[in-house]
Amino acid sequence: MYALVDAVAFYASAEKVFDPAIRSKPVVVLTNNDGCVCAVCPIARRLNIPKFGPYFKVKQLLEQNNVVVRSSNYELYANLSDRMMSVIGRFCDTQHIYSIDESFLHFSGYENVVKDWHTYGHLIRRTVWRETKLPVGVGFGPTPTLAKAANHAAKKLTGFDGVAVINDEASRRAILQRMDCQDVWGIGKRLAKKLKIMNINTAWQLAQQNPKTMRRAFSVVVERTVSELNGLVCLNWDDVRQDKREIYSTRSFGERIYESTALKTALINHVTIVGKKLRAQKSLTKQLYIFASSSSHEDVFYKKSYMYQFSMPTNDTCVMANAVSEVFEKIYQPGVRFYKCGVGALELTAEQFQQSDLFSPQQDNPKLMGCLDAINTRYGKGMLGLASSKLNDRWHMNRDFLSPQYTTRWRDIPKIKCD
Amino acid sequence: MCFGCLFMFVIPIYIEAGICGFESPAAQYTELGVSLDELLIKHPDATFIGIASGSSMQEVGIFEGDLLVVDRAEHAKDGDVIVANLNGLFVCKLLDKTNARLLSASPVYQPVNITPSDEFQLEGVVSLSIRMHRQSPELLSCMP
Repeated sequence: MYALVDAVAFYASAEKVFDPAIRSKPVVVLTNNDGCVCAVCPIARRLNIPKFGPYFKVKQLLEQNNVVVRSSNYELYANLSDRMMSVIGRFCDTQHIYSIDESFLHFSGYENVVKDWHTYGHLIRRTVWRETKLPVGVGFGPTPTLAKAANHAAKKLTGFDGVAVINDEASRRAILQRMDCQDVWGIGKRLAKKLKIMNINTAWQLAQQNPKTMRRAFSVVVERTVSELNGLVCLNWDDVRQDKREIYSTRSFGERIYESTALKTALINHVTIVGKKLRAQKSLTKQLYIFASSSSHEDVFYKKSYMYQFSMPTNDTCVMANAVSEVFEKIYQPGVRFYKCGVGALELTAEQFQQSDLFSPQQDNPKLMGCLDAINTRYGKGMLGLASSKLNDRWHMNRDFLSPQYTTRWRDIPKIKCD
Repeated sequence: MCFGCLFMFVIPIYIEAGICGFESPAAQYTELGVSLDELLIKHPDATFIGIASGSSMQEVGIFEGDLLVVDRAEHAKDGDVIVANLNGLFVCKLLDKTNARLLSASPVYQPVNITPSDEFQLEGVVSLSIRMHRQSPELLSCMP
């Protein structure tokens, strides 16, 4: 048996954990420089606030309904996610954390231990609520895809109270028949449109397809999904957990940028993030993709990108920052209102398979980078960095409605009244 | 999870009187030591730290500016010092489940009756409180 446990509107729910004043109020969370709504709590959902819409479009609606608006407080969410995952992990010996708010559990040999999955699901829900004040939904199924379907039912379909179980033909049919195929794990909107043309509308209809035909028509992923919907386990965590093959850091600016120092500072900061991620997974990159652009809504759209080829694969922030400096003059153009920039490390190789080259000496300084990472881990992100990453702070994101970092900064710990 | 600074590693480094020569034999053991988290926090995932304001709990030894360590996993019994969400505020009181009341430790303050029209959620049990006998600069900014 598999379970998928995930938080209900995680970001919005997390905002309520240490702010009792907004527990019973509608709350939405913005992301991407406060440009877009990314989480809507159930109370706000009842007011028909759309998720994933631009903020400016719903701003008036939010004001009319006294909806509490917050910027994404990633420090808080990461800490609450850790706590939530750790509590969920107590209920099973095999846990796979799939995203910041979703966790799979694989129950093998629990048949005699857990008598009733429904009751067990409620125990998980109650415990997570009690210990972290985060609401979660729990779905059980014989495959990860069916567990995900049950989880969808638990939270979205009427007649379920936060827990749903698929453990026989009747329960599988009852849930899949009421589910749009676009809500099936791994299908998504675009694929669902094509399926609809073939008259496949519900998850149940998708489950009736021949897996081999689906493979020919679409891909091996869809074939596996169909098999999983029929109770055949095809997914393997090791497939999912693989090291990332590309690492990107990109972001749009809070306000448009004109000056070259500001743009360069932003690029160096992206390089810093990519370098750190590369070292964390012990990868090296052969190519660095560097780009900057104006907004596509500008009259004249400007975009310049460069693919920088290293003579030796690297994960050294200094080496990558030099690459940025080398191509920067070609990317920057005075007068352009820059909206977005970023870097991407492509063609990654493992550190351990690194071969040395007689004619191109290695420029990396692993000791220095190790020291840099150690200092930043110990004293906080950005404590030590390249001087060129600190020349300008205009590149930072807008978080105008940010809540305090209740669990990660002393001066932000919650106040408790004794009067 | 980790409470950052509350992790107090006692580091046995001896002062070496400015003489160069033999390295302190203790240098190899700097990572050892006791942790306050380990001693004081039974359920790290369910515990948070808040700061107290007000004088209604002085009789149980909770003063303005004390740190309250709140454990959400602990089962609350009558008489426990607890933190609750009462109408949108975190309050620290003594629990009286039997009479659906929250009591202050100080007799000056009246008991608070919880009625169905109140928003009430039990947050957790105050398993310990910490008094700073010298003001910590980190905490100074959270004082009301």
